[in-house]
Amino acid sequence: MLAGSVLELDHACPDTDIGNLMPVPFTARVASGDCIMIECRRSVQASAFSDFCSGMIPLSAGAVRFMGLDWSELGSRQMDALRGRIGRVALSGYWPEQLGVQISIMMRGLHHTTRSIDDISAEALRLAIRFGLPGLPIDPPYRLDRMDLIRAACVRAFLGSPGLVLIEDFFTAANPVLLPPLLHSIEEIRQHGSAVLWFVSNASSHDDYRLIRNGLWHLSDDGLVTG
Amino acid sequence: MTGAQIPSPEQGRNISAPPDAPSAGSATLYGNIWLSIRRFLATLGRHTRSLLHFTLVMMGAGWGVVRESCRKDTWRRTVRYEFRRTLSDVAGRGLLSALVTGVLAGIAVVSQAIYWLGLAGMEEMTGSVLVTVVVREITPILVGILMLGRNGMLTFTALGLQTTEGQTRAMIAEGLDPFLLIVVPRTLAYTVASFTLGIFCSVAALLTGYIISRVTGVVSHSLLSFLYDVVTAMTPADYLLIPLKFVVEGFFVGLGCTVGGLTVTPEDTIQTMMPRGFGRGMLFVMAVSVLFSLSF
Repeated sequence: MLAGSVLELDHACPDTDIGNLMPVPFTARVASGDCIMIECRRSVQASAFSDFCSGMIPLSAGAVRFMGLDWSELGSRQMDALRGRIGRVALSGYWPEQLGVQISIMMRGLHHTTRSIDDISAEALRLAIRFGLPGLPIDPPYRLDRMDLIRAACVRAFLGSPGLVLIEDFFTAANPVLLPPLLHSIEEIRQHGSAVLWFVSNASSHDDYRLIRNGLWHLSDDGLVTG
Repeated sequence: MTGAQIPSPEQGRNISAPPDAPSAGSATLYGNIWLSIRRFLATLGRHTRSLLHFTLVMMGAGWGVVRESCRKDTWRRTVRYEFRRTLSDVAGRGLLSALVTGVLAGIAVVSQAIYWLGLAGMEEMTGSVLVTVVVREITPILVGILMLGRNGMLTFTALGLQTTEGQTRAMIAEGLDPFLLIVVPRTLAYTVASFTLGIFCSVAALLTGYIISRVTGVVSHSLLSFLYDVVTAMTPADYLLIPLKFVVEGFFVGLGCTVGGLTVTPEDTIQTMMPRGFGRGMLFVMAVSVLFSLSF
């Protein structure tokens, strides 16, 4: 593992039959504080690559390391704990209908840490207000409109200073209302040494944020083009 | 190196055919019959394997729940919250239904049992028959069906839809283990709730039976005397086996519904999930009841 590396793909080749990624070797490195924009055409590919980085896709060769730990060498509890350090902005996230959205937002922090509930809810409230919500939504997810659910997904992803944030929902990055709080949150967690992988459908439409990102990759059926 | 000779398609066909086929036409006929038998056996085997698959999953998951529940780090606040929420839902909201079921069972069974035993001049066996029929046999089945219908089917369907919509995978991506966060607390909550509802249902059935019989004049002795008959009719083993039956039944209803919901395939719809969930749930309820009755 290289020093300061958050995520490392070391000739990692996804299993042929699983996921929407081609079974080609992926080699890349995301350093602490990096913000990498990944251009990919299909949202399912972004989700599959996020799963790949989260150790959810079996490999036929190579290794995927997150925070220096190889996913394939970890037990299930260790993998869960490590995934608790990854924030994901995905519209099709885990929103159980029997729970209020505020519980789903705080679930990861409540499950993986011993932080007090007051502490977690105070941070969640601060992020919720930043992303344009009037407070922490206590309604079940089916009572929230799409925009508010995306805001809630952003709050959940950035809650608890995760080591890596994966913004896999194209709509989030393309929405002018969400961009300022999103950039604010990205800058904030980068200062703490976290990294961000930001998936976009068209990188040229995000040229304004060239200064923020420090890498542009292209994810296609042929694999990942870095640099 | 000489490799093994690769059989041609023709040779392959001959191997499948019976050895003493008299002519080409007969060989084709025998070949077709043989092929049909093989297909039938393959279908039968596939079906048997799929049935066994769920049984094996249940056995493994059951052991997993017992083992995980003994680990201290399992009982995190999220798991405790889910346990409390499910227990409140199943036992708290199901209490009235259990009492009503017990009252109806009391009217239907207890009053009839007391009446017919009185007619046969076997009043002294009232307690023994009531314990055997109502508390040991009927109430566990009624409580099992009640939990399955009120909560189990809802759990099965909700988890099934959650799985087909990809939410279970999203849950894993958050580092939240569905087994730890859903299967363990809900199965244990069903187990505790089954015992609670079973005891309330039994008491309601016995009391209603006594009241009905007293009002109709079939029995004349006091409530305490009636309860004394019931208590003395119970063997020491009954004090262990009756609660154990409630507990095991609740455990399997909870486990079957949660594991069943999480193991649906992407092809499943609500039309395929619900009959399967109900069928399996009923099977667990009846199997536990019959196995306990035969064993003890």
